[in-house]
Amino acid sequence: MGLPGVYFRRTVKVLRTEVLVLPSRVAVLVFIVALMALPIFTQDYYFLRVLILTSIFAIFAASWDLLSGFTGQMNFGHALFFGVAAYVTALLNLKLGLPPYFSIPLGAVGGVLTGLIVGIPCLRLKGSYLALTTLAFPIILTGVVFAIPDITGGELGLAGLSRLTGSRVMDYYLTSGLMLILGFTMWKITDSKTGIILHAIREDELAVRTAGVNTTRYKLLAFCMSGFFAGVAGGLYAHFMRLAGPSGLEVGLSFQVIIWAVFGGMVTIYGPIAGVFILYPLMEILRVVLDNFPSLPEIRMFIFAGLVLLTLLFMPEGLIPWVRDKIETECPRCKVRNVFSRHRCRVCDADLD
Amino acid sequence: MAAQPFLEISGLHKDFGGLTATNEVSFSMGRDEIIGLIGPNGAGKTTLVRLISGILHPDRGKIRFKGKNITGKKTWDIVNMGIACTFQNMRPFRRLPIIANVMVSCLSPRAMKRGEWVKKVEAKAMDALEFAGISDMALEKASTLSQGDLKRLEVARAVATEPELLLLDEPFGGLSPAETDLMAKSIARLHKGGRFGRLHSEGPAMIIIEHKLAQLMKIVDRIIVLDFGTIIADGTPEKIVANPEVIEAYLGEGGV
Repeated sequence: MGLPGVYFRRTVKVLRTEVLVLPSRVAVLVFIVALMALPIFTQDYYFLRVLILTSIFAIFAASWDLLSGFTGQMNFGHALFFGVAAYVTALLNLKLGLPPYFSIPLGAVGGVLTGLIVGIPCLRLKGSYLALTTLAFPIILTGVVFAIPDITGGELGLAGLSRLTGSRVMDYYLTSGLMLILGFTMWKITDSKTGIILHAIREDELAVRTAGVNTTRYKLLAFCMSGFFAGVAGGLYAHFMRLAGPSGLEVGLSFQVIIWAVFGGMVTIYGPIAGVFILYPLMEILRVVLDNFPSLPEIRMFIFAGLVLLTLLFMPEGLIPWVRDKIETECPRCKVRNVFSRHRCRVCDADLD
Repeated sequence: MAAQPFLEISGLHKDFGGLTATNEVSFSMGRDEIIGLIGPNGAGKTTLVRLISGILHPDRGKIRFKGKNITGKKTWDIVNMGIACTFQNMRPFRRLPIIANVMVSCLSPRAMKRGEWVKKVEAKAMDALEFAGISDMALEKASTLSQGDLKRLEVARAVATEPELLLLDEPFGGLSPAETDLMAKSIARLHKGGRFGRLHSEGPAMIIIEHKLAQLMKIVDRIIVLDFGTIIADGTPEKIVANPEVIEAYLGEGGV
């Protein structure tokens, strides 16, 4: 048996012992496989476009969760990072002729710097005061954008960026692949030692300080990381739409990302991603369906709002944690998760009923 | 040159609006002392401890720790110099498991530097929990703990930074008599110093705020009495109990 055989056996073993034992992990596996295999079955232009945008907004929503969910720094102006990165990417591409694989990372660096600029004045603020202050930043920047139309293109924005890749299918693989990689990275960050400190800052900042941890540094780090991931999303969006405009800074986008994250389940990273993957395509389907009934008034937002409200009324933790609690139970002794149908823990054999 | 006092506080003054919380407080303590800080409610005990740990900043006065001026420094810098404190009203990270609560302390620069040979932060955090006697609940969420266990968690969190000066704010508050004895024993053991698993204890000097005087008297060497932000007595437990001013302000005629 050669080396490939060893790797194959090891993969199968991990699959069998780690992935297939939990429905949530199976769901993630199925999701990844389905996402990767989709273009084999359909290459419909519009369909792929919706999924590409979904992937981009999923990165964006997860980056909000990293800052506001995990670290507890409630950001109501998250579109700022998205919009700034989109403009930076567009300017680099149009003025300097940088290709997407340079302009998008540099746009994300723009997001990091924006995180620093917003983070430093916000260090002393908490809760609703922080939320209102962050809300103001993109509004201020919109004013700046309109004030210097020679650079920013004013209301029309900057159009005519080079394409992301040559073809729609390649665009799809790039964005969905990046979404999976960055989503996994963010999830790993929240699971790390840094993640524990970020968690603790959300719970009680003063207690973290008396534990000897420099909270200022970690809060700024959270702003910068969140700015980076949101910036990648903004850069991808600018190159995919071939446009960077003031719509990327809108208050509506800031609130949209909060709705996605809260609907899917905050403080999980995978929750906001799932939230986008449910809500964004749903809105597109509703748009197509409702176009067939031109006599109806614009009830799309009404349905959307009703759906989100009902979800939060019955699942205050968000959709995904609710589903997860239904299909999995936590072992009271060793805290390992088990399928709901098991009666004894798969690790320590404790009684689950 | 005379030996430098371990902790030296001179003319420490703090006002909250019109209220004077600590009024020109001055005292110094040695490396191996355990000081009990007592006084009626609102006497400024907690304020004094918060001033030392840098949570509050004084209006006037100086705090010197091991010869260095630490007045006005950031809380985390002071903790990393070796002063740890606990809160009177416990402040755990409620949605985190208990082990993660202590891991935050173990991740501070001071703890990371001192336990370099311990590869796993978890192991060190576990030993701090073991010391406090709540290691069997390491994976439970902090929100499920009882009052007594929360006090123990506070102590574990402070001990995990391996302090040289430990400020305990009512460590016996809300504990049953049995738990109080246990806690008093833990404190005495900690003061002796040594190793608890992979955790090293410097045998820290301590300042303990407490109302349960009977237990406090057993472990402290010296008692400072505060009233309206001013030190009214400072001496050995025996002297304090006999001091008429202290009886007037705090103890009452019945004594301890």
